[in-house]
Amino acid sequence: MAGEKRNREEEEVKTDDGSPKIKPRPIVRLGIFLIAHSPVFSVVFSAAGILALLLLPLLAKNTYISENALMPGSARSMLSNRDVSAGSKLVKDIKNFRLSHEGQGVEVQKLIGEYMSEMGAEVYYQKFHPEGNQFHPLHFFSGPDSYTLLDNVSCASYGVNVAGIIRAPRGDGKESIVLASDLLKCGELNTADNFRRAGTVAAALVLKVDGRSERFEDTLSIYAEASNGQMPNLDLINVVNYLAVHRQGFYVRVEKVVSLLSSSWLKIIGEIFEAVGKLAHTLNPDWNFGIPAADYLEGSATLASSLYSQALGIPTGPHGAFRDYQVDAITLKVSPRFPPDSKTRQHDFFLRGARLLEGTIRSVNNLLEKFHQSFFLYLLTSPSKFISVGVYMIAFALLVAPLPMVAASLYIDGCKALTNSTLNPAGNFKSWKWLDAAKQVFALHLLGFIVTLLPYFICQIPGQHSPRNRSIMWGTTSSSLLFITFATIPGCSPFSSRLHGTNWAVVKSVTISAAFIGLCLMSIINFATAEIGALLLVPTCLMAQPIKPALRSRKIKSLLGAFCSMVLLTIGFPVMFFAISKELLGEGLVGLSLGGEFWTWLESLWAWKSATYLYIGMVHLPCWLLCLCILFHPS
Amino acid sequence: MAEEQKTKPCRFWIWALTSVFFRLILISFKGNLNLSSRPEVSTPLTSIRRLAEGYWLKQASMSPYAGSMYHGSPLLLSVLGPLTVQRIKGQPSHLLCSLVFVIADILSAMLLRGIGQKLQMAYGLNARLLGFLKSSRDKVILPCGDIAALVYLWNPFTIVSCVGLSTSPIENLAVILALYGAVTRRVPLAAFGLVMATHLSLYPATLAIPIIILLGYGLDAPPIKLFLQTRSVENEKSSTSTVSKQAKSKQTTRLPFLWKTVVHFLFWVLLWSLYVLVLCALSLNKYGGLEEMFKRTYGFILSIEDLSPNIGVFWYFFAEVFDFFRNFFLIVFHVNILFMLLPLAIRLKHRPCFLAFIYLAISSILKSYPSVGDSALYLSLWALFVNELVDMKFSFFLFCGYLGISLLSPVMHNLWIWRGTGNANFYFGNAIGYACFQIVFVVESVSAMLNHDRALKRSNSNHGKSQELSH
Repeated sequence: MAGEKRNREEEEVKTDDGSPKIKPRPIVRLGIFLIAHSPVFSVVFSAAGILALLLLPLLAKNTYISENALMPGSARSMLSNRDVSAGSKLVKDIKNFRLSHEGQGVEVQKLIGEYMSEMGAEVYYQKFHPEGNQFHPLHFFSGPDSYTLLDNVSCASYGVNVAGIIRAPRGDGKESIVLASDLLKCGELNTADNFRRAGTVAAALVLKVDGRSERFEDTLSIYAEASNGQMPNLDLINVVNYLAVHRQGFYVRVEKVVSLLSSSWLKIIGEIFEAVGKLAHTLNPDWNFGIPAADYLEGSATLASSLYSQALGIPTGPHGAFRDYQVDAITLKVSPRFPPDSKTRQHDFFLRGARLLEGTIRSVNNLLEKFHQSFFLYLLTSPSKFISVGVYMIAFALLVAPLPMVAASLYIDGCKALTNSTLNPAGNFKSWKWLDAAKQVFALHLLGFIVTLLPYFICQIPGQHSPRNRSIMWGTTSSSLLFITFATIPGCSPFSSRLHGTNWAVVKSVTISAAFIGLCLMSIINFATAEIGALLLVPTCLMAQPIKPALRSRKIKSLLGAFCSMVLLTIGFPVMFFAISKELLGEGLVGLSLGGEFWTWLESLWAWKSATYLYIGMVHLPCWLLCLCILFHPS
Repeated sequence: MAEEQKTKPCRFWIWALTSVFFRLILISFKGNLNLSSRPEVSTPLTSIRRLAEGYWLKQASMSPYAGSMYHGSPLLLSVLGPLTVQRIKGQPSHLLCSLVFVIADILSAMLLRGIGQKLQMAYGLNARLLGFLKSSRDKVILPCGDIAALVYLWNPFTIVSCVGLSTSPIENLAVILALYGAVTRRVPLAAFGLVMATHLSLYPATLAIPIIILLGYGLDAPPIKLFLQTRSVENEKSSTSTVSKQAKSKQTTRLPFLWKTVVHFLFWVLLWSLYVLVLCALSLNKYGGLEEMFKRTYGFILSIEDLSPNIGVFWYFFAEVFDFFRNFFLIVFHVNILFMLLPLAIRLKHRPCFLAFIYLAISSILKSYPSVGDSALYLSLWALFVNELVDMKFSFFLFCGYLGISLLSPVMHNLWIWRGTGNANFYFGNAIGYACFQIVFVVESVSAMLNHDRALKRSNSNHGKSQELSH
């Protein structure tokens, strides 16, 4: 969409340039108008983008079950009290076993396996090695096929999964329920990998039982975000939510950013929206878009959490391992309200939990194909409300729309300036003036790419290094590389004194184009990262301009602009942004411990092949550096 | 100036060698990159894995075309086939094949350089004849051969198709060989290149037209009218009116078309085709012979049997089309290319090399199984005309478009195939975008070339007028 727009705009500019005699078409004139007034429009569009982001909780729709075949809750439950007692007995056995065999974790799997085989399931034991943290960021593009299992892991400790397969007795034996229990955390990936080989998996549910619920009711928390912001099909969440709320009486919740619930500015915005909604309702009773301020707060806190965990690209639970194999999976965490020793309540809780699981499995079993009807790309604002891709993309599109406009307008200005300057040796290359600027932009992007890959080599350095030392190594190598780049390619350096052929306007135009391409790509890979990245990068890129003329002119407006771009650049540095977000979360970090923390955070990104890391290294960092170059441009 | 020209070749060789080293480095990392399975790089026609399969079938005394795996030339199978099985210990598989492709790339670049040098000389000569280069030294003639060779060597598309083990470097080499032969007037070489290129990928058959024009009329030059104008102006200056009338009547005669060379060329084409056909027949005589070969190679190209996704636009369309319309649309789609041949040839007959570039670009858009290797070929041919296309519009926009599309393509493929959150429309949308950018590129190139000719005409008439006035 944005690309088309850009296409149009550029075309218009050029036709305007080339043949001034012909009166341009209306659409061309509109484009020229947009480019001519790009400062105004960029402010308007950016503001509209942020407003649209704030409006998202209002635009959330109620979820509905899209796949008719699912029919949740239509089957009569086969679970009885006897089954629940058997379950309680298993729990008791495991507890006793744990007490008597302290420190022999492997035996518990055997016990579970025995129970499974008593039920009539085929039981399998699977050994696995905990996989070390490896750096393979580029494997994001290729599927899970390309990652090789390491045979030469010299790891003394291994884990054991136990898996039971209950086959459909009257079917052809292909339909089955697979139960697996893994007690080591790193078994997730291996389990998922093995399931993949078995055949098509319709859905995966990971069950966790927590201590006591904070609320009065039994609580069911749904965790859905998998790696790179992938979500399971919305129908799976709908089924679980429907059964939990309407059949078993659970209180269903999804993660939210708690600190936002008490923020006053968000509350004010919510109240404004409520008032506007009421006003609209009085004007026309059909306009019912207003929601109460409290709902708005809840919605935006959930939305913020949803955006945050999608943007990180790290799964929020063990279900994350499944999504990479196209298996829709969620983690369900149930927290009972009763104190753990109350027998009857435990029984009741067991029964409801088991019925929820049974209902879900039977509903999924009704599926004739894989989940495909409902949404894959959505954001949750509550367990029963969602924002689909068509709505949330608007906010992003508005936010990045100024980029091509400003790029086109700067390109024209810069080319005019270059044509006017007679000193320019390449005077006869009318339409190739951007090549010099493109060289600089390319050099810095290449640098970003190298910096992105550096951790791979740092990890190869023999010997044990603390994350802090590794981050110091990384920082020093990258900064020295940066200085080498500045020294060897004179056009790149912001500190060189002599004037170059490159005009800062053209450099900025090419930078903005690069940022635009990067952001648009990222919005397809992982929307949330692109949205947060655009919030940071778009104002930085738009505001960046040489600081020297601003200081020389001593006008308040230009000084203010320079100050703003300095502030934005400071915030925009990835480490700084990390520190600020940590500060906001209440974990103050200063100095070297910050480096260690940052490295650990990056390691967690690599573990899940998060594209966010690639984005930071190959889009955000180079654009940030280029903005820095423009800021100190000797113009 | 002279110093610069001395250092230029040196810099050219440094850059060329760097590109070769870069390829070699990438080849050693091939296992990680996994480029040979990407649909953008290897098509059913150019995939080395299919070639290895065909070779294996042939070794097992079966037809290499059995099982619809291999669809390339039997000669390529005999040359590259043994290299796919040979392994050097401790080295990644297909190392020898990759080395062959690297050598093909280097050869293509050198030939492009040769073509460019010829074109550059012709450009200088024509400009001098038309009186542009007499006094003004400010207009620098770019070394278009060096630029084209470097564009070919450093184009990411070329690198990717070389490292990704698609056979397109060899197909490109054959095309460039044909053009080189025509430009340097080595008729047998041109005929060999054309026959090989047509044999390998069919579409270069269209190049017969520009090569014939090239051999008949000579290298790219401004329209003949311009020269006549210049001469007439000079004649008017020097002689009386009666003589000039006679001269004018003489000048209306056209540039001589060298029938002899063209017939010579056709004879060689016939000879080489016979030779290739005999070789193919010999190599396939147990497995169905030539008929089988035509059915499985050209038939496969023309009937678009393989609908696996690629960066072209045909696969999606023919996956959707109803069966009883299939033949109709096959004809419509292929005639699309043929329709464009004649008008372009008439309009651009004075610039046969440029015409060849346009034909290649169009066939790369409308091919049944296009890959990035085809784009690499026409992009480097485009660089041969940097002197003429200096004022091309949309250059930055097109650059951004090509960049964006080529990055978007693997993402869309990932979304569709691996994540399952996208569908075929995502990848096809990308392919449509790519086709649009290519079309804009072709249209802009042609219009820039025509504008260049117009500008020459305008400045020429101004030049003449000013001279008249001064008289």
